[in-house]
Amino acid sequence: MASDMVSREMQLSALVQISDPPRGQLSEFVGRLTYPFQHGEPPEPRPATGFFTDTTVCIGCKACEVACKQWNQLPSDGFNWSGNSYDNTAELSATTWRHVKFIEQFSAESASDLATNEPALNRWLMLSDHCKHCVAAPCHQACPTGAIIQNEFENIYIQADICNGCSCCVAACPFGVITRSEMGGHSHKCTLCYDRQRDGLEPACAKACPTQSIHFGPVDELREQARKRVEELHRRGVPQAYLYGDAPSETYSEMHSFYLLVDRPSVYGLPDNPFNPWLHMLGDYVRSVSGGLAAIAALLVVVFLLRS
Amino acid sequence: MNASNQSGYLNLPVTKVPGWYGTIAWDALLNGMATGLFLAAAVSELAAPGVFTPVAKIAYPAALALLLADLGLLVFDLGDPLRFHHMLRVFKPGSPMSLGTWCLTIFSLPLTAAAALSLLAEIGFDFERARMLAVVVGLLPGFGAAAYKGVLLSTNAQPGWKDARWLGGYLTNSAILMGCSELLVLSALIKHAEATAMLRTAFVVLLVLNAIPLGLLFRNLQRAHARLYTREQQWRVGALIFAAGTLIPLGLTLLNGGLLCIFGSVIFLLPASWVIRFVFVKIPHTTPLEVRGSAAAEQVAAADVTTMRANPVRMHQLR
Repeated sequence: MASDMVSREMQLSALVQISDPPRGQLSEFVGRLTYPFQHGEPPEPRPATGFFTDTTVCIGCKACEVACKQWNQLPSDGFNWSGNSYDNTAELSATTWRHVKFIEQFSAESASDLATNEPALNRWLMLSDHCKHCVAAPCHQACPTGAIIQNEFENIYIQADICNGCSCCVAACPFGVITRSEMGGHSHKCTLCYDRQRDGLEPACAKACPTQSIHFGPVDELREQARKRVEELHRRGVPQAYLYGDAPSETYSEMHSFYLLVDRPSVYGLPDNPFNPWLHMLGDYVRSVSGGLAAIAALLVVVFLLRS
Repeated sequence: MNASNQSGYLNLPVTKVPGWYGTIAWDALLNGMATGLFLAAAVSELAAPGVFTPVAKIAYPAALALLLADLGLLVFDLGDPLRFHHMLRVFKPGSPMSLGTWCLTIFSLPLTAAAALSLLAEIGFDFERARMLAVVVGLLPGFGAAAYKGVLLSTNAQPGWKDARWLGGYLTNSAILMGCSELLVLSALIKHAEATAMLRTAFVVLLVLNAIPLGLLFRNLQRAHARLYTREQQWRVGALIFAAGTLIPLGLTLLNGGLLCIFGSVIFLLPASWVIRFVFVKIPHTTPLEVRGSAAAEQVAAADVTTMRANPVRMHQLR
């Protein structure tokens, strides 16, 4: 079913659009060659925006997933039983930019032994996952074409008409967000509804969220709001509540999309200690160059010694 | 708090594999063979032109052919190969792929000139100074084209790759080693005794030297390999690589300076070099749960259903 839809999408995209001006083959070829080198004027910087996702109020309704698919006109991925709770989306992908995760934490003992005096520690955890829009984003650093940019809202945005599908961003992302599409061969991910933001609207997922688990707004305001929420939860007997990604660590920058969690990040499928691979790059270059120079030096020594 | 039988995301890998499969292993090999051959020929020719010029004039066209094959693989591996030139719209030294693309592009120009002028010299049109200028100009971008590949494959978030601090050191060193071996074969083929004798000694020294970054790389990858392979498998592959990539070529080269032994040593060295690259590239693709495509998802789902059938309590909870 999904492959039928993909082939239909490809048929439709191959149709000549009425708005396309008629072009000869040479003109088409020249246009293709020169188009990526035309750089426009960057827009004026605006206040940084992002998401604060409060997982404690998420009910797993998947309205955010549906709203994201609908607004961004993303094709269906088919319907598959993943066997992992109510999660049938399985992962973020080129056609799924929001993914609601379900974590069931039930102890077998409490289900069968109701006479115990210990409080039942059974609960559901849910998290609506998406791109973290990292301030120093590895995908942005890796991109060799300049297709991945930080836009005027300081969100990480992929220019789909520039991306050539090299997959460096896929390899670089420590959160497994970016995916290369089988249709077209380009990378895609959450745009933080750039088009809606430019028109003064909030992203579709935040608009659709019925419990206000997904908050959208200026990042500074979101951080303040998130800290107050954590304090409130601590007062209300949830001492394990904390923020993930709101502040930089020694190995990773802050994120413009951050979360309020109540268990270890790895429980939610997030890295416990995200690491920016670029922290190693300079040392790797030094080792790479020294490895080559050592070999050249050895070759030269032999040549000079044996020349006479 | 966490029940032992829960599903969820705890043991699932977080990163996604980039889909760089065998093509990249071949790319890494051809990149090393092309840049290494050019660098070995250029350095030898500049150091002892009287000895190495005849063999270098054959080496440059051969290096160009290898580079073209490599560039073909690089373009073919893109999601949209017709957009390869988009790599040249920006120069980002912080992106190893960008730096590598620029180095390869710039390197291809003097290499083409050196190859063309070498071939012209064979048919009587000798532009020696221009040829030497092209060789000198090609040194720096050629070295850059050899050095970026390891950094590209170690500067990312992939399991195993991200720990490979000595990958760049090994690949660049190995490029010069392979280049020296190719040059040795060419000099033996044209029966240039003096060049063959010098390159034979250099090859032995480089073989021993290359074992150092290779050992350091394997040390970096110890944990990643331990997750994927049994100790016995690791020893078997390690012994195979060391024997085929170092000991046998070393033995054959020391045994005899004849064409047969030289050919034999290179025939062992190049496949061993490919195996090392292939084993490395395979790491993130090997972890069963790392591959999160639809087929893997079905396997995970099937495994979960089996677990649930074996665990009535969990089935009850799900109902």
